[in-house]
Amino acid sequence: MYKIRIHGRGGQGAKKAAKMVGMAAFNRGKQVQDFALYGAERRGAPVMSFVRIDDTPILERGNIDDPDVVLVLDRTLVDLINVADGLTENGMLIVNSGHEIAIDTLATVKHVDATSIALETIGKPIFNTTMLGALAKLTGIISIDALNWAIEEELAHYPKELVQANKDAVRKCYEVAQ
Amino acid sequence: MKQTLVTGNEAAAWGARLVQPNYIPTFPITPQTECIETLAQWISDGEMSGTYFDRMESEHSVMSAAVGAAAVGARVFTATSSQGLLLMHEVLYIASGMRLPIVMATISRGLSSPVTLWSDHNDFLDQRDSGWLMLHAENNQEVLDMVLQAYRIAEDPRVLLPIMVNMDGYVLSFTDEPITIPTAGMVKEFLPEYTPKHTIAKDRPITVGPPVLDEYTLFRAQNHVAARNALEVMEEVMVDFDRIFGRRYHLVDEFMLEDAELVLVTQGSMSTTAKAAIMEMREEEDIKVGLLRLRVIRPWPASAIAAALKNAKAVAVIDRNVAPGKGGIMLPEIVETLYHLDRRPLVSSFIVGLGGNSQTEHKVKEITRKLIVDLETGRPRVEWNDMNNNDNEGL
Repeated sequence: MYKIRIHGRGGQGAKKAAKMVGMAAFNRGKQVQDFALYGAERRGAPVMSFVRIDDTPILERGNIDDPDVVLVLDRTLVDLINVADGLTENGMLIVNSGHEIAIDTLATVKHVDATSIALETIGKPIFNTTMLGALAKLTGIISIDALNWAIEEELAHYPKELVQANKDAVRKCYEVAQ
Repeated sequence: MKQTLVTGNEAAAWGARLVQPNYIPTFPITPQTECIETLAQWISDGEMSGTYFDRMESEHSVMSAAVGAAAVGARVFTATSSQGLLLMHEVLYIASGMRLPIVMATISRGLSSPVTLWSDHNDFLDQRDSGWLMLHAENNQEVLDMVLQAYRIAEDPRVLLPIMVNMDGYVLSFTDEPITIPTAGMVKEFLPEYTPKHTIAKDRPITVGPPVLDEYTLFRAQNHVAARNALEVMEEVMVDFDRIFGRRYHLVDEFMLEDAELVLVTQGSMSTTAKAAIMEMREEEDIKVGLLRLRVIRPWPASAIAAALKNAKAVAVIDRNVAPGKGGIMLPEIVETLYHLDRRPLVSSFIVGLGGNSQTEHKVKEITRKLIVDLETGRPRVEWNDMNNNDNEGL
């Protein structure tokens, strides 16, 4: 089973991001489970979302304490909570940041400036979809094509230009992530 | 049939959409809101043309409106959670006493104070004696399936009682899982048109829910008999459900019980994790442990539970609820059921997962190991998980 944990703040789309990853993997024939954990639904409060992906039906439930990869949408969370909790040396932490941040973990730490990419392509600091480009590139767990499909499905009610901008942001982030 | 990725809230909404009830009175509350939002969207999109959607000013009004609509013969659906379910409490007795087959999805969330938004079963089990029938789902597929079955059970002339379909908040309500959504044709074959037996009509006036004196006991007894009848009806409905939809359910969910010396008694979504832990313990440690999941809480399927536990040496009743001053709510129900067996197992009590504390495989294995110790010492225990050991002193 492959386990993804996403840290964000209320309003940044951590829940939506997990849903899109789940949909993308499900669309490729995987068994998936995705959900979000949040308290009082207020903007700015730390939230978490989770995705489990497997070839067989998933029997695990609840929070993911032993993730394979952790996505941090907002780098200011690094000072507040242990975003690397449960990651081993085989794991990976992907942080949305324009500069390197020291994080105490044995896992591989990657940085990608998703906020700048989102501002360039979408014109707004909406970086949840953008970060999924880095997830696709650095882990290979989902493909860009599957992500594009999930974005189109999930954002079907939004204007076409916005959907395209999100896809462009994912593509750009995929290209620069390393 | 193709699988679709839906949350527990959406699964309940799908159940209602396939049934196409006449009336859905609503009031939003976390974690139920997504369920009624989904229905509101579908109704606004014209997917449920025969359904009237109402937004009330409180849950007390929701259930009152449900009672009124059901009394004039409407098929009704609604959903709630936690404090909202408590606010309905008074009217729940009126619905069951008037023998109205209302179907309600309840999305379990712990109760205030202190505030929690996450799941435990106190809200649901607080309605245990309200005269409603009560089902509890393990996963999102079962949520949808139970909503369909609930209408058949509730509307059966031998029953005519309201019914709750419970799911755990967040763990199911907000979790996307692949499920199979049946076709409208299959549901039509399974669930006949609703022809209410006793309704208030202009040309046929009747009195419902009047004050009574000596007859009160008779009415309560009839409520009891109707609820007991539901066991037989449920068995029939589940056979018919299997015939049409190809999924077989039973009054209780028995998992690896054939040779099990140790049995975990669970409810709801934690059962999935517990089953995974049991498979691992059997394979890796050769521990003969099985699981009994309570899916029907009211009526109480005593015979099915007793039969499932008759070979057990030790039982852990895992309550995701607590009655302060007593303990786990399901513990005495299980113990009473076992009391009449020739050979009674030892019964330990574990109170877990209050306010959404997650139930991992690791915790299930811990409980099982403690049960082995209890069997060796012959002394049952009462333990609250998710706390430091020191805090367990004296519980």
